[in-house]
Amino acid sequence: MMTEKRNIVREFEVLNKYGIHARPAALLVKAAGRFSCDIFIGRKGAEVSAKSIMGLLTIEGHQGSRLVVRAVGEDAEAALLEISALFENKFFEE
Amino acid sequence: MAITLKDLLETGAERLSLELLWGEGHLNREIEEKALNRPGLALTGFFQYFAQRRLQVFGLAEFTYLKSLSSEDRAARLREMFEKNVPGVIISRNRNPLPEIRALAEEYKTPLFRTTMITCHFINECTLILEELTAPHERVQGTMLEIMGIGVLLQGQAGIGKSETALSLIGRGYSLVADDVTEMVRTGGRVTAFAHELTRYHMEIRGVGIVHVPSLFGVSAIRRDATLDLVINLHPYKNDADEERTGIQPGTIEILGVKFPYYELPVSPGRDMANIVEAAALNYKLKLLGHDAAKELDEKVIGTFLRKAGK
Repeated sequence: MMTEKRNIVREFEVLNKYGIHARPAALLVKAAGRFSCDIFIGRKGAEVSAKSIMGLLTIEGHQGSRLVVRAVGEDAEAALLEISALFENKFFEE
Repeated sequence: MAITLKDLLETGAERLSLELLWGEGHLNREIEEKALNRPGLALTGFFQYFAQRRLQVFGLAEFTYLKSLSSEDRAARLREMFEKNVPGVIISRNRNPLPEIRALAEEYKTPLFRTTMITCHFINECTLILEELTAPHERVQGTMLEIMGIGVLLQGQAGIGKSETALSLIGRGYSLVADDVTEMVRTGGRVTAFAHELTRYHMEIRGVGIVHVPSLFGVSAIRRDATLDLVINLHPYKNDADEERTGIQPGTIEILGVKFPYYELPVSPGRDMANIVEAAALNYKLKLLGHDAAKELDEKVIGTFLRKAGK
């Protein structure tokens, strides 16, 4: 069986009031860390690893901003599913 | 916990310059209340509130007052006190007990002590000893260090590198309190850590064996005890471990009913654990000084995001 390198891209809007500050960033990093695929989050042309807290803070994901999440690797689909749940649940804030 | 006169004498005889005048066979009497009482007020005849479960200390005031009484009154008041079955009587300032006191002590089988100390010093020191004797204590698995005034307990499974990390930290000038097994005792809201007397200042390094720390590194490498401030658990690196990433809300662990900040540090090749433990301790010290870096950065980030979201 051939292993397929999957590359999935999805766009999310930041819904929670305080944006991707330290706590949501930690949630993203922990979620991303559970998958072997590479995950990147980008905004306005800049892209950082979703496994880096300090990186995530620099993309300035305030409320209303749109972030592009890109997952590359075998479990990319599952990873994106988990990450989208975080965005949809406003990172369990509010 | 019940403590007896024997416990007090064994622990405190030297520190209190305490001498037993009578009552060798009655030292198993319990000190029901771990405090001392000066019976001055009772000796005036007021026994309505008399701390009869405490040790009674006769100082200069009691002696002078007793001397001012007629011998009948003196005998009657002293008898009334001994009738209450007090745990023990202590005479301070190295005075000889009045003959009445001695006779009553024997009659009521109440041990009689004498100290060379003056009353207030004796009461302070004896209260401390009673506190120590009854303080909650526990033996915990872990290596205790003192890093720049911060007491750090290092925990983790056998072979994870607690002693090796401690050795590295000693090399950097910090001090060892106990290796691998630490005794904890609580006084008030404070937990003090120290080593078991037998193994104190020794540690075991795998492959080298048992070493005597002050001989190798000098006396500044050791401390007899330290107040516990934070607990660090070393564990094997796992990809999905639920460890702290921001440091805004560190976990806590309870030791002897007191909560301490608790850090889970994953161990993996290339991570210099001594360096990380040192950083954790210093960061904690910074927090004590009112500078919480994680929180401050988060507030700055949130402020920026709120401004941008509003545009």
